[in-house]
Amino acid sequence: MLLNIVKSTALVAFTSCVLHAGEFNVQAEKDRIALGDYMVAKFKDAEKNKDKFFPYSTDDELKNNIKKDIPLEDFSMGNYAFSIQGQFSYNEIKDMPPYEELIEQGEEIYNDNKALQKCFPDVTIAGEYPYFDETKKEVVSLTGAINECLVSAGQKKWNEKKGKMAFVQSYFAYSTTEAEKKVDMKITSADAAAAYERGKEFYYTQRGYLKLSCATCHVQGAGKRVRNESLSQLVGQTTHFPVYRLKWGKDKVENGLGTLERRMAGCVKDQGQVPPKTNSKEMKELLYFMAYMSNGMNVDGPDVRK
Amino acid sequence: MKNLYSILAATGLALVISGCGSSSVSTPSNDTLDGKKLCNVESNGIETVLVTAVQYNKIAKEHGVEFKRLGMTNTQYIVGSQEALKTGAKRVVLLNKKGKPTKNSVTVSYAVERACKFAVSALTQEAEGKNTWRAAVPGDGFKY
Repeated sequence: MLLNIVKSTALVAFTSCVLHAGEFNVQAEKDRIALGDYMVAKFKDAEKNKDKFFPYSTDDELKNNIKKDIPLEDFSMGNYAFSIQGQFSYNEIKDMPPYEELIEQGEEIYNDNKALQKCFPDVTIAGEYPYFDETKKEVVSLTGAINECLVSAGQKKWNEKKGKMAFVQSYFAYSTTEAEKKVDMKITSADAAAAYERGKEFYYTQRGYLKLSCATCHVQGAGKRVRNESLSQLVGQTTHFPVYRLKWGKDKVENGLGTLERRMAGCVKDQGQVPPKTNSKEMKELLYFMAYMSNGMNVDGPDVRK
Repeated sequence: MKNLYSILAATGLALVISGCGSSSVSTPSNDTLDGKKLCNVESNGIETVLVTAVQYNKIAKEHGVEFKRLGMTNTQYIVGSQEALKTGAKRVVLLNKKGKPTKNSVTVSYAVERACKFAVSALTQEAEGKNTWRAAVPGDGFKY
């Protein structure tokens, strides 16, 4: 009898915990689904929906450069998901990607560093970062976790934007992609939900002397052209980092690979504002929100971008 | 006369830095600041406008919304303007993203006005953003 009561109580407590934990991501799920629906609708038929979504684009551009009926999963390719011309050059670069040797360097660094092996015994974890640490009550990014690991082992921190940090992350991303894992973001407490909301507010708030929000370009502006570039969309934006940017690597191949923090700092600068520090609360919460918007998508990093 | 201006500017800046001058500049709520009025060099005088720039940029930095144009932060505009007023230079040299001087420069009054407008706009925009950001969220304020 007593055993039955204990069992029932435990079951009720467990169920309650699970249900309660599930409640905290309700808003984030709504946001993610609404964003995905918007992108799918926007790129269903750009030419036909010109007035609604692409009023300033040319007919020729919409007809010849924007693909139709793009499935949600394809958005993990960034703007190459819809840009026909962009995908052509992307496929050519991917035949012999410039980051291949940098993944190997990352693997070597990992294998030579016992502290890293101890902190990250499983290298297929790229889709699990950033996550909300319920003990520290803060978002932990992969960059922050790697540096914390190094420091706790008495080693020096790495540059958070490029170099060894990006090489090791590319090895993690590659291993995660090979393991066919997906982005796996969780929001399991009110604190985590609040961190997500702050990240969301940062993304959607206009800032800088140009008064642009991230969303101006990558939600409402996704698919539109700036000079000769088609703007990528928020959905799938974090699945493929670190990335090798041709712009970053023009002088030295090693500099071409960069972390998500490096890219985001560049974006905020482009808006006309001093970017938040790479390991700041603001930056980590921004990445947390962005990663959630790609939740459930395949990890497919590292990748190459212009 | 030029020396007198320099002394006045230096005194004003010293007061602001030490915190004594903070009560001399009006501090309405950030969403009602009028950048055009506050940052008008002709009507307010260059030193006063620079003091305003310093005051509001300090808050913008604390809030993490300081402006940066190309490679130059608003703090660098302010420092460049302060140096120019101190040395009597007529132009402020613009810096690149590594903080090195470029070939381009602007007049001191232009730099001061820009620094002030950037500082004020960062705060008014921040206050405005608190009420407008949801308008861009699909599934929330953004309809299509």
